[in-house]
Amino acid sequence: MTEMLREPRVRTALAPDPVAESGTKLPAVAMQGVTKRFGGGRGGDPVVAVDDLHLDIRDGEFFSLLGPSGCGKTTSLRMIAGFEYPSAGSVRIFDQEVGLEPPNRRPVNTVFQSYALFPHMTVVQNIAFGLEMQKVPDDEIATRVGEVLELVQLSGQARRKPSQLSGGQQQRVALARALVNHPKVLLLDEPLGALDLKLRQAMQLELKRIQEQVGITFVYVTHDQEEALTMSDRIGVMNLGQLLQVGPPEAIYDTPRTRFVADFIGDTNLLSAEVVDADTARLTDGTVVRVATGRPVGATVTLAIRPEKLGLWHADAERDLRLDAVTGRIRRMTFLGNAIVYEIVTETSGTPVELTVRQGNTPGIEHFEPDERVRVRWWPTSTAALED
Amino acid sequence: MATTLEPRTTPPPADAAPELGLEADAERAESRRGLLIGLPSLAYLVVFFALPLVIVVVYSFATRSRTGRTILGDWNLDSYARLFDPLVLEIALRSLWLALLTTLISLAFGYPFAYYLATRSPKVRGILLVLVMIPFWSNFLVRTYAWRVILGRDGPFVRLLEPILGTDVQLLFTPFAVVLGLVYGYMPFMILPLYATIERLDFSLVEAARDLYASGWQAFLKVTWPLSRPGVIAGSLLVFIPSFGAYVTPEILGGGRTTMLGSYIVRQFLSARDWPFGSALSVAVLLVMLAAAVVYLRSGGRNL
Amino acid sequence: MSVVDAASGPPPDVAEDSVVRPKRTVERILAGNAWIVFAFLYLPILLLVVLSFNDNRTVGVWTEPSLRWYQAMFTDRNVLGALRNSLVVAFISTVVSTVLGTAAALSLERFRYRGQRAYDGLLYLPVIIPDVTMAVMMLLFFVQAFDLLGAVLGVNASFGIGTISLSHIAFNISFVAVVVRARLAGLDPSLEEAAADLYASRWQAFRRVTLPLIAPGVAGGALLALTLSLDEVVITSFVAGPGSTTLPVYVFGLVRRGVTPLINAVSVLMLTGSMLLVLTSLLITRRRDEP
Repeated sequence: MTEMLREPRVRTALAPDPVAESGTKLPAVAMQGVTKRFGGGRGGDPVVAVDDLHLDIRDGEFFSLLGPSGCGKTTSLRMIAGFEYPSAGSVRIFDQEVGLEPPNRRPVNTVFQSYALFPHMTVVQNIAFGLEMQKVPDDEIATRVGEVLELVQLSGQARRKPSQLSGGQQQRVALARALVNHPKVLLLDEPLGALDLKLRQAMQLELKRIQEQVGITFVYVTHDQEEALTMSDRIGVMNLGQLLQVGPPEAIYDTPRTRFVADFIGDTNLLSAEVVDADTARLTDGTVVRVATGRPVGATVTLAIRPEKLGLWHADAERDLRLDAVTGRIRRMTFLGNAIVYEIVTETSGTPVELTVRQGNTPGIEHFEPDERVRVRWWPTSTAALED
Repeated sequence: MATTLEPRTTPPPADAAPELGLEADAERAESRRGLLIGLPSLAYLVVFFALPLVIVVVYSFATRSRTGRTILGDWNLDSYARLFDPLVLEIALRSLWLALLTTLISLAFGYPFAYYLATRSPKVRGILLVLVMIPFWSNFLVRTYAWRVILGRDGPFVRLLEPILGTDVQLLFTPFAVVLGLVYGYMPFMILPLYATIERLDFSLVEAARDLYASGWQAFLKVTWPLSRPGVIAGSLLVFIPSFGAYVTPEILGGGRTTMLGSYIVRQFLSARDWPFGSALSVAVLLVMLAAAVVYLRSGGRNL
Repeated sequence: MSVVDAASGPPPDVAEDSVVRPKRTVERILAGNAWIVFAFLYLPILLLVVLSFNDNRTVGVWTEPSLRWYQAMFTDRNVLGALRNSLVVAFISTVVSTVLGTAAALSLERFRYRGQRAYDGLLYLPVIIPDVTMAVMMLLFFVQAFDLLGAVLGVNASFGIGTISLSHIAFNISFVAVVVRARLAGLDPSLEEAAADLYASRWQAFRRVTLPLIAPGVAGGALLALTLSLDEVVITSFVAGPGSTTLPVYVFGLVRRGVTPLINAVSVLMLTGSMLLVLTSLLITRRRDEP
């Protein structure tokens, strides 16, 4: 039923960033110029954890803040929750300024990394806690707790203590305890970090299902790119306290804007090049490739190409004018099971270019041996020019 | 600059000093709340602990009148000078020696004991630990008194030894009795931190040492012992500190001939009525303890 | 249906065949040493208990079992008076120091403010200070305080139950704070954040989440305070007034004069009290581990 709410997931790599086309609808969370410094005051330099963050999170979307540890993503989330107060800037939830409100006066709830389930209360007592604090009548509490237990499929465990539950079950209780309050925004701080791989993948789908069912805005903090790509409607990539790029998973993956984003998400080939004209650039080995850089002629740019977007052919393969290509020799081959990764060094004048090519291990695909001469070809749309 | 498009509840400070972020007020309120919660006990400790400490220091510079009254005034260092009297030095050295002996004996028996405890199965470990804790929680005075009965004239040791040796045997009121009593009293202080460190020790390190051709004894010397050193330091200080200032044990088991610093200080107040000198002695003992405590904290012994 | 406990696996154990296990001879020596230490710790106590039931007036000479010294003890006005004083002081000092020590632990563990380190240091001092030094401190303090009260207010205060209780509180606050702090430090701070996130006010979060979870620590601290107060001799003897001696001080006085069967009986009474406190604290620890 909520399928309508979701954005179409088929987009071309160069589609305009959907942030620009967001309607007049009020953002669920709006952060403007938010900065957080720690350890300031007397003596000792303050550490800037979040630096001048501008971000609108839309109503009903599944938004992920992605970045390495210490990048400021958790601090940003904690400022929305109210566990930290910003040093500067404004935090609004549905146009209501909450920057300096304590957590208990904000219409948001949190799923903690450690779950933070009250160990001395049963599952039901944990879930009912928020409603009790809000003085919801007892019979309504009972109904709502029952509903949410059903939603997370834990009706059978109602009378247990958290320590008697498995990790996955504890995770669901934490989710139910937050959702039962019908928060305007649900904040999740790496909630799947403590689970093993299989369970984590199952819970990813589960979380997505629940989010679509309840239609609440989710703000999800993670350092796991795969998690962010799988679940999110949009992703914000952070590093060193700064928000580097915001966009749907496809845009983030296919057209990274900075070296950090290209490198942090997935594997990538970073190639240094010199701008020839508006539509082409020259690699260090002299190969000219088609890419719109928007930079002046002669400027140095870094290009990013994903290894799986490169095709591998025999050196004497026919030329295809629609594709860009280089010729080189295989230096190393690594068999991964579902794919084969080749490291290739180009064989042209100038500084050789090193490329990584990833071929799916599918029937009909040709295998190459080290030292073989090969031709690497790709669609010009696969090349992204980085800003730094 | 004055007119913004919408009324903001929190105007961002345009050129505010970087230390004074928006959160400053909230954080100050939070600090105040914390201080308020701690204030009653802080006030209590200032009045009933810090102030008394200051008074003792003040007294240590005062003068004793001929009748034994303390004259607050006419400040001098006489009491501190008397700390170097041969008699005082003898008592101090005896305290030091007996305390060190107590510490060494406790370590010699306590370390293998703690090691034995820490290498049992968890169930056995729990039971043995409780058995160590029980005497630790039991009344110190009573436990010391028990030794007075045991070592006394009619006690089992004297009765056993006298026919064998054929002479009068004096066990009570000797340095031996005092050390025995101190070891008995403070041994758990040695065992518990030792147990805590050895139990936390990663025994795969010992296996790694054995794998790298160390003998059992070498592995102990090069791996186990250095890694359990924090526990050794903590335990030694926890035994040394109370032994050095002991009063009850030498009083009950030592008699008049084995005076230790604790008893000597008490004597200044209860019989000699020389409060300035007693205060100076207390300050000196306190300084030794503080030095030991600093060593303890520096060695990371805070976790016990 | 099996209960899955993902949070806490069984603690690592040293396998029977591990090279960590010392060789048999060393193992025997270790076991022997353990027996010696246990014998050393327990035999004197056992001997004392046995002798307290000895009918003979001379402590070391066994004649026949009897309860006469217990009878004597419970009719001895001095013993009963001292026991009453001990219980009153222990009760007052435990209640006050538990409240104050818990507040101090909360303040130091959960808040940040200026001067905190100094407070921290002050709080640790009573734990490590030798009892003789603290006894001297309290004696001189009360002498000065009485002088001041007499001169300024004309109040005639004197040593007694009050001064003993005030002194006991002064060291017990620190012991309670240390125990409660250890418990607080082991508590996931996000539990309190979760309570606030779920609309609990400061007080509600403390009352509903923090306090129940640190309760074993608070109870442990209170039991430690009770034990220390009931055991204390040196400080108490310095600040006790005529007629206000506690049981340990009274016994200490008797012991210095010599060994009597009556002391044996009183000792066993005090030991029994200690044992009951240990058992209680063990029960609390046991309950703490239950889910």
